[in-house]
Amino acid sequence: MWSYTLRRILSAIPTMLVVITVCYLLLHATPGGPFDSDRKVSAAVLANLEAKYHLDLPLWQQYLLYLKGLLQGDLGASFRYADWTVNDLVAAALPISLSIGGIAMLLSVVIGVGLGIFAALRQNSVVDHFVMLLGNMGSAFPSFVLGPVMIIIFAIALKWLPAGGWHDFEVRFMILPIALLTIINVSTIGRVMRGSLIEVMHSNFIRTARAKGLPTRVVVMRHALKPALLPVVSVMGPLAISSITAALITETVFSLPGLGKLIVNGAGNRDYTLVLGLVVLITVLTVTLNLLVDLAYAWLDPKIRY
Amino acid sequence: MQLRIELTAIAALTLALTGASLAADLPPGTQFHASQTFVRSNGSEPESMDPAVAETVPANQILRDLFEGLTATDTAGKTVPGVAESWKQTNPTTWVFKLRTNAKFSNGAPVTADDFVYGIRRFVDPKTASPYATTFGVFLLNGLEVAQGKKPTSEVGVKALDKFTLEIKTKDPVAFLPELVANTQLGPVHKATIEKWGKDWVKPGNMVGNGAFVLKDWQVNNRIVVEKNLQYWDAANVHLTKVTYLPIEDQFADIKLWESGETDYVYQMPPGVFDKYKAQYPKELRNQAIIGLRYYDYQTKDPVFKDVRVRKALSMVIDREILSKRVTADGQPPAYSLIVTGVVGADPTPYEWATWPMDKRVAEAKKLLEQAGVKPGTKYSFAYNTSEYHKKMAVFVASEWKTKLGINMETETMEFKVLAKKRHDGAFQLARNGWLADYNDATTFLALVRCDSDQNTNFYCNREAEALIQKGSQSTDAAKRKELLTQASKMIMDDYPIIPLVQYSLPRLIKSYVGGYSELNPQDHYRSKDFYIIKH
Repeated sequence: MWSYTLRRILSAIPTMLVVITVCYLLLHATPGGPFDSDRKVSAAVLANLEAKYHLDLPLWQQYLLYLKGLLQGDLGASFRYADWTVNDLVAAALPISLSIGGIAMLLSVVIGVGLGIFAALRQNSVVDHFVMLLGNMGSAFPSFVLGPVMIIIFAIALKWLPAGGWHDFEVRFMILPIALLTIINVSTIGRVMRGSLIEVMHSNFIRTARAKGLPTRVVVMRHALKPALLPVVSVMGPLAISSITAALITETVFSLPGLGKLIVNGAGNRDYTLVLGLVVLITVLTVTLNLLVDLAYAWLDPKIRY
Repeated sequence: MQLRIELTAIAALTLALTGASLAADLPPGTQFHASQTFVRSNGSEPESMDPAVAETVPANQILRDLFEGLTATDTAGKTVPGVAESWKQTNPTTWVFKLRTNAKFSNGAPVTADDFVYGIRRFVDPKTASPYATTFGVFLLNGLEVAQGKKPTSEVGVKALDKFTLEIKTKDPVAFLPELVANTQLGPVHKATIEKWGKDWVKPGNMVGNGAFVLKDWQVNNRIVVEKNLQYWDAANVHLTKVTYLPIEDQFADIKLWESGETDYVYQMPPGVFDKYKAQYPKELRNQAIIGLRYYDYQTKDPVFKDVRVRKALSMVIDREILSKRVTADGQPPAYSLIVTGVVGADPTPYEWATWPMDKRVAEAKKLLEQAGVKPGTKYSFAYNTSEYHKKMAVFVASEWKTKLGINMETETMEFKVLAKKRHDGAFQLARNGWLADYNDATTFLALVRCDSDQNTNFYCNREAEALIQKGSQSTDAAKRKELLTQASKMIMDDYPIIPLVQYSLPRLIKSYVGGYSELNPQDHYRSKDFYIIKH
C-alpha cells in the first residue's frame, strides 16, 4: 500500500503541471486583463503597472518565473489585493474554509449515513418517506434560498445567532454556515446511503447471514455496512472539495472570508496569480482526497488490493 | 495688470480660513452614547491601504480616516483645512499652503512640508505604478512627464519653502486645487516607515498615518478596524473611538446584517427595494444624489452611428422619468445632461426636449430617423455586463425603442472585464457605462467626451468644443471658466455622443443613533471623524 501511495503522489506531479499550464494559458487568453476597469488607465500607468507585475515580459518568460516561484513555495503577489501575497491570502482563508467545510462534512457523514441506514431498513415506511422528503428538500432548495431564510429566522426574528461575519473562530458565527452546508450535503449522502444499503440488503451474502440466524444489528453493522459505504465514499471526495473550496454561496450569504470568495473575486478581477495559486491548492486537495478515497475502498472492499 | 487684480481677488476669496475647530457641528443638546463605536459596511475589500496606490471608493473611504491631506472634505461636502490651515494662489499656476505646526503622524513625528513632497513624488513615481498617477498628476507641473518616466520625480511641481510651507505649481490654472489636494493620494506619508517596512508598511502595527484614526486590525475579506489616533491634531473633536469597516459585497446580506443589528451603516441598497424599506424604515433610509452619471455610449466611429440625427432620435424617446421612478426605483434622479446636478465648474445643460410631452418627442425622433434613412426594424447591438440592475435598464430602453420607433436592440451580456476591454477598444455599437467623479469639477465629466481622453470610449471628438475647454482651463476667472465649460458641454451634448440616463444616488440604511451624516456630500466622502453615536 505504501508503494502504491508513493506512486500516486509521484504521478500527481505531471497532473499538476498540466493543470497549471492549461489554467495559465486559459487565464491569459480570457479577454480583459487585471487592469481593465471602468476607468481606463493611461498608457503610461499601464506600462508602469505591467512592469511592476512582470506582465511586460513574453508569456513564456512569465510562465517560467511563475513556476520558479512555485517550486520555492511562493505563489506570487496578488493583483486584486495589492498589499498581500497569494500565500498570505490562502493562509488566512484556508483555515476558515477548512473548519466550516470540514466540520460540515463530518456532520453530514454521521447524520447522512445514520439517516440512510434508518430509512433503508424501514424501506417504504412512513419514516423512510419522511427521510426521503427531507433529503429531497435539501437538494431542491438552493442554498441561496435556504441561507437567507435561516438568517431571517435565527438572526433577525429570534436574534439567537449573528446574521453573518467572522470573528476568530467564535462558534456562534460558525453555526449557521455549517448548518447550511450540512443540510445540503446530508441530503446527498443520505440518499446515496439509503439506495446502496437497500441494494446490499438484497444480496445473497446478506441472505446467508440472515439464514444463519444472525440478529439484524450484526447483519447490518458487520456485513452490510462496509460494502454499502462504497458509493458514499465515492461521492464524499467531490463533496468535501466543494464544501471546502467552492462554498461560495454560503460564504456570500454569511459574509465569510473563505476560499470561495477569493476564487470568484480572483477570476472576476483577472488576478492571474491568485487564481493559479488557488488552482494549485485545489489540485493538491483533490489529489489527496482521491487518494484517501481509493485507500478507503481497499479497506471497505476486500476484493480491492493495491 | 488686469491679471494681478483678478489674482488678488482670488487670493482674498480662497484664504481667510483659520485653524479653529473643524469637526462636525453638533446639534445643541446632543447627548453622546457611552460607547462610541461604529460598524460601517464598505461595499468590498479595498485593493490597497497605500494612499498612493488606492483607486476604488471602498479603499479611499478608509484612507480618509487613516491619512489627511492638505485639505479635507467635511460631512456636508465642503473643502475644509486639513494639515494646511490656510492657502493662497500667488499666481495663476502657483499655490502656497501654510501647514499647521501641531499636525503629527501617529508615531508622534511632526507632519512637515517635506512629507508632502515625498508623498507626491512617490505618488507620480512610475515605480509606484499608481493607477491615479496621471489622473491627478496631469494637473501638477511636470506630473504627467514624471509618471511617464520622461522626467525624474524631483521635477514634479511641489516644493517645501520651509518646514511648514508648501508650494504647488500646476501646469494650467487649476481652480479646484484646494479640493483636489483633499485626496489622500496627494497627501503626506512617513518616509522612514516606508523605507523600514517596504511593501508591508501598510499592515497593522507597521503603518504610520496622520489621520484621525490608526489601523488596528486587517483581515482580508473580513474586517478592517481603525481606532482613534490620539496624536491627531484635532483629536479633541473626534468622538468615535473605534470604527469597523466590513467588506460586504452582497447587498442583500448587507441589509440583513444591518437589520440584525450587526452593522450601523449599509453601504448601498440593492435596486428595487427602495420603496419597501422606505415604508419600513422611514427615518433610517437616507438617500442622496451623488455626482455620477449612468449613461450609454454610442460608438461614434461605427458607420451606423455616424449620423447625429440617429443618435439624437434614440436618446430623446427614452422616458427617464419612468426609468428613474419605476425601473431603477432607487431614488436616482433622471439625467438629461453630461454635467449632473451638484457639479462645480459648469452648469447642467438639459436638452430642450426634456420638457416636451412624449408624443412630440416621438414624432420628432421618427422624423429624424426618416431623414437619416433609418427604417423601422433596424438592429443595433448593445453590450452590458451581467447584472440584474443593468439588465433591467437595458430591457426598458430596448422596449422604448421597439415600441416607439420600431428599432430593435440586440442585447449582449458579458463579464465586467470583457465589457471594460470592449469599451476601451471601442469594439461595440452601444455600451453601458457609468462614471463617478474623481473630483468635483466639470472637467472630470468632460473627460468622457473630450478628444484624446483616455476615458472617452465613444471616440467622439469636437475640436471646437476642445478649444473652448482649453480656453476655459487657462482662465483664472471662475465665472468665465464656468461659462466656457458649460458652453463646451452643451456643444458636445448637442452632438449626442452619449445617452445620459440617470444620476447616481446612494440609498442606504443608517441607524438613527448615528450622528453627523448629511445628505449633502456629493462624492460620498464621509470621514468617520464627523460621525458620533447619539445616546440610545
